[in-house]
Amino acid sequence: MDVVVDAIRQVWKARQGASVTALDGVSHRFRSGRFSCVLGPSGCGKSTLAQIIGGLEQATSGRVEIRDPNAANGPVRSGAASVMVWQNQNLFPWRTVIDNVAFGLQMRGVGKRERHERAAALLATVGLQGFERHYPVQLSGGMRQRVALARALIMEKPVLLMDEPFGALDAQTKIVMQEELLRIFEQTHKTIIFVTHAIDEAILLGDEVIVMTSRPGRIKEVIEVNLPRPRHLEMVNTPEFGALFDRAFHLIRDEVRRAMAEQSAAIRGAA
Amino acid sequence: MSKERIAPAVFEKVLPALIVVAFLGAWQLLVSLRGIQPVYLPAPSAIVLAMIQMAADGSLFVNLGITLLRIFSGFLLATVTGISLGLIMGMSRLFQRIIDPWIAALYPLPKIALIPLLVIWLGTGESYKILISAITAFFPIVMSTYAGVCQVDRGLMKAAQDLGASRRQVQFNVVIPAAMPTIFAGLQLGMGVTIIMVIAAEMIGGSTQGGMGYVLINAGQILETETVFAALVVLALMGAAIMKLQEWIGNRLVPWSHSR
Repeated sequence: MDVVVDAIRQVWKARQGASVTALDGVSHRFRSGRFSCVLGPSGCGKSTLAQIIGGLEQATSGRVEIRDPNAANGPVRSGAASVMVWQNQNLFPWRTVIDNVAFGLQMRGVGKRERHERAAALLATVGLQGFERHYPVQLSGGMRQRVALARALIMEKPVLLMDEPFGALDAQTKIVMQEELLRIFEQTHKTIIFVTHAIDEAILLGDEVIVMTSRPGRIKEVIEVNLPRPRHLEMVNTPEFGALFDRAFHLIRDEVRRAMAEQSAAIRGAA
Repeated sequence: MSKERIAPAVFEKVLPALIVVAFLGAWQLLVSLRGIQPVYLPAPSAIVLAMIQMAADGSLFVNLGITLLRIFSGFLLATVTGISLGLIMGMSRLFQRIIDPWIAALYPLPKIALIPLLVIWLGTGESYKILISAITAFFPIVMSTYAGVCQVDRGLMKAAQDLGASRRQVQFNVVIPAAMPTIFAGLQLGMGVTIIMVIAAEMIGGSTQGGMGYVLINAGQILETETVFAALVVLALMGAAIMKLQEWIGNRLVPWSHSR
């Protein structure tokens, strides 16, 4: 599925009639079957962009179009072709692991036996066999993120939206999860839109890295990542990776500096 | 664990029980040595004797049964009305706007002050006792249900929506279960005040309908202090048993918040 965002603008109403522009004229075509990373400093509106694409937020203006590039029919309803993986997982604490994964199927009216069978199969592929009856609170952060991934994959949506899914994980767990995600991507060739603030993660995973400016969020530059697939962690040490990292780093450094200066000005102003 | 480690652990468990026994022994000794009148302070042995007597003639079980029946009737009434109204308030903004001033006005009123009015309207029969306890328990239940629904994590609701849940499905599969721990806390508060109000209503109300509150007030009036103490002990045990039962039900109903 191609995901086209066109002139997306998102304005929040702030206190005393003031308003904050989170996204300003964001246009991009996320091509079908590609892994696109949206990279930006915190507060640049990249999570908002993911939620707008997922139909979970209404943009102030602009257009999202999701359509099959090979089919003649028109775009699908926003949200119908995508599913989100959240940074804080948003697992339902009162549901066991298997019932969390089966949630989407249950909402569709799939019977208990079938949905549990399919959920168990997916849990096995993400390495969580034997944890079906646990509650999320009993799992580690990495395991919870696997549950969240399985809960999204079971929906079998062509577009996977990932909002800093590994942002809260420790460094080692993060590496393992990245490898797992690469494996899943290379097997399923879903269209993945992956929001992150980690430069190395964006380059290691993505076919392209969309660098955002700090608030208001605009697209600063799109970096094509021509590293071969399958990707693995060793590629971090290649000169190609280093060159890409350098480029992204210089783009993002200015934005982070600008964002920090604005933040300290705002704090000073408030004090 | 070494032997030196086990000894203090055992000591830690035995000591509180020993202190209780010592306290009762001292009480018994004090009463018999100083010759204190049983009307003021009966000896623990006399209280136990009074309890045995009440159990033997059956009055203990009859009165306790009547009181428990009233408690559970009042509590059930408050639970059904409180949870339904709290859920509706949490899910409909309009309804919340309509109900809110009523609750805000009635909540601070000490519910026990309604007894004279209810007695005028209903007499001192069962309906008055059940209603006064239900009214009292209704407020903590409705408020915690409403608060529980309002505090539901928006992220969970969004995630459910993203996974294809309709508005109604979000309410039944996310809002209500997410609010369960808060609702249950309200039920526990509600049960506490129900017990208080039933006993108080039994004291102020009827003389022929029985109940532990009546046993207490009657024994007090004829200066049967042993019976007063015996009734207090029974009420304390009853309260503890109800609390344990609630805890047990809570653990079964809300297992995710206890399985850390």
